[in-house]
Amino acid sequence: MNLIRAEVERLSARRFVQLMIVLLMLAFGVTAATTLAGSHQPTAVELAAAQRQATANIRGMELEHARCLARERGEPFRDDPGLYLPSDCSELDPALQDRLPVAADYLTGVFTFTRQAEPLLYFLVAYLVLFGFLVGASYIGADLNSGGVVNLLLWRPRRLTVLGTKLGTLLGTVLTVSVLASLAYLVTFWVIAQIAGYPGPTNAAFWAELGAIWGRGLTLVLLAAAIGFAIATMGRHTAAALGAVAAYLVVWELGGRIVLQILEVARPDQLMLASYVGAWLAGEVRFWDSTACRTVTSGYCDGSYTLTWQPALVVLLLLTAGLAASAFALFRRRDLL
Amino acid sequence: MTSGVIEIEGLRKTFHSLRRGRRVAVDGFDLLVEAGQVHGFLGPNGSGKTTTLRALLGLVRADDGRMRVLGANAPEQLPQVAGRVGAIVESPQFYGNFTGYRTLRLLALAGGVPVARVDEVLAQVGLADRGDERVKGYSLGMKQRLAVASALLKRPELLILDEPANGLDPAGIREMRDLVRSLAANGVTVLISSHILAEIQLICDHVTIISRGRRVTAGPVVEVLAGFDHNEHLVRVDDLDRAEELLLAAGLTVTGHADHLVVSGVPDPTTVSRTLGEQGVWVRELTPLRPDLESVFLELTGTPAHPGVPRQVDGSTPPGQPTTDQEIDLGMRGVDA
Ligand SMILES: Nc1ncnc2c1ncn2[C@@H]1O[C@H](COP(=O)(O)OP(=O)(O)OP(=O)(O)O)[C@@H](O)[C@H]1O
Ligand SMILES: [Mg+2]
Repeated sequence: MNLIRAEVERLSARRFVQLMIVLLMLAFGVTAATTLAGSHQPTAVELAAAQRQATANIRGMELEHARCLARERGEPFRDDPGLYLPSDCSELDPALQDRLPVAADYLTGVFTFTRQAEPLLYFLVAYLVLFGFLVGASYIGADLNSGGVVNLLLWRPRRLTVLGTKLGTLLGTVLTVSVLASLAYLVTFWVIAQIAGYPGPTNAAFWAELGAIWGRGLTLVLLAAAIGFAIATMGRHTAAALGAVAAYLVVWELGGRIVLQILEVARPDQLMLASYVGAWLAGEVRFWDSTACRTVTSGYCDGSYTLTWQPALVVLLLLTAGLAASAFALFRRRDLL
Repeated sequence: MTSGVIEIEGLRKTFHSLRRGRRVAVDGFDLLVEAGQVHGFLGPNGSGKTTTLRALLGLVRADDGRMRVLGANAPEQLPQVAGRVGAIVESPQFYGNFTGYRTLRLLALAGGVPVARVDEVLAQVGLADRGDERVKGYSLGMKQRLAVASALLKRPELLILDEPANGLDPAGIREMRDLVRSLAANGVTVLISSHILAEIQLICDHVTIISRGRRVTAGPVVEVLAGFDHNEHLVRVDDLDRAEELLLAAGLTVTGHADHLVVSGVPDPTTVSRTLGEQGVWVRELTPLRPDLESVFLELTGTPAHPGVPRQVDGSTPPGQPTTDQEIDLGMRGVDA
């Protein structure tokens, strides 16, 4: 318990951590301020116009669907030259669309929460992932490097307990910072939308989707922190984690991708970690496999495939657990100088 | 054996490195420190002192040997006794951006020591006014003092100090001496490694000398010194040549120097004065040459492997003994050796 207290204090007293939080607040402030400055509350007239436009658009879609159905039934309909109708009319059915146009889509110069929350959240998650990774790496890296770990082990000669407490403290702190930061962030933009913009149609589905991205984003932040911590522990240095990631990106995600292309390996994206990160965050990602249709000479060929979040989570968890287990195994036996 | 506060038997440690291969640091070393001793731990650079202490404290993994600290097997049972052992190992490093106060506070928290103790130990090592400054702004001696403070924090029963005087000013060395004496007076057992032999001779009652990873001598300081007492006397007379002739004629061993003679193997100096006086050569000065730790140390460890060539680290060879296999245990031989 005392050890945890000491580690929380050590972590929060780190200047790097403080700097990263200041930077986060700075970026946050600038985004909020520019959003606030560039947005106004829509007037009743603007809202009505936007609403009309949305309704008109939906009407247009319904009309097109009706025509398609008419053609299917062999009824005559007024032909529009150049109008394309798909063979399957359900593609046009407004009731089956993912999303129908809403008034918010036709407001200009208005910050609309439902439209902007998702990209804003992605931006925050990206920052927090970086934060988690760098803080995780430098927390243990600087401590190993400055002899702090040795000093601590003279007091608590249980290596696994000490390292485990450090990892736990790190994850707890990063999670707390992430939750607080993302809540403050979303609430701020929600308030901006209320006072100087337009909240948009916030229904249960919207909140559920936003909540899912939030939860998956925070998980990714924790995984990044654990990975930074594990690599820096193995390399005894903060720079080891940065170097390992840079090397991975250059050698595999760039170099390896080119080699895989030359070798015409099927579905190279499946071998890239970035694909899994994307799939986990977005829920699913579609990839196009250029080799799939090479042998198909005629007819229709769909070379695309999807990665969903479930296998992505498994891959990311296995990677993190593997790195962490190696770090602990190595640290348990290693000579500390 | 029961009162052994530190018991080491047959400790071996070899460092392996990919580029430079094997390096035997400790090669079957034995050490016994009993309760209440102030025990000096001496040896040339690279002889294995720090490695021994690191192995004892669980920082490096010993290859072979048996170690016990305060009755607990090291390193397995170290956690049981760590709270009673204060240690500094070879100029400890601290995280530079933390203040001296915070550095100690974190250790106190982690070790379950009341934080109020931090101010006490800072005052004890003379850092009371500098505790709120960053460690990276400390001088070498100040860092050393901070290290000693960290070892004192838990009111240890056993204090292990690896070169605590490193970087201390003359007043600091004296303060260190007073500190060690007052701790010893309060029943603290102290193991202290140092290259300042005059200092060791002043504060230690027992001593162990290591060379090339092996014990070359051990025992109470007085007995070790007595074992190297060759009953030498410095003689000054006006006519050196005549005096030398007379003493040689009397069957004594004499070495001539520019302005004095050294007669060895004479337990009783009256032999010298009588031999010379009877022939009308009057002795101006007759001083017994008692060995000090420095001369003993150099005699045991300081001979160059090849005369005329600067001595290299690891290169010390006990006189007349081309190998390091010998072990002179004066503690066992006693005074009349
Ligand atoms: N991490 C290491 N890797 C390889 N060799 C090492 C390592 N640490 C120590 N050694 C070697 O082990 C031997 C003993 O070193 P050690 O630090 O124990 O000496 P020491 O007696 O403390 O010397 P000093 O008086 O200079 O502090 C030396 O030859 C040293 O080079
Ligand atoms: Mg040393």
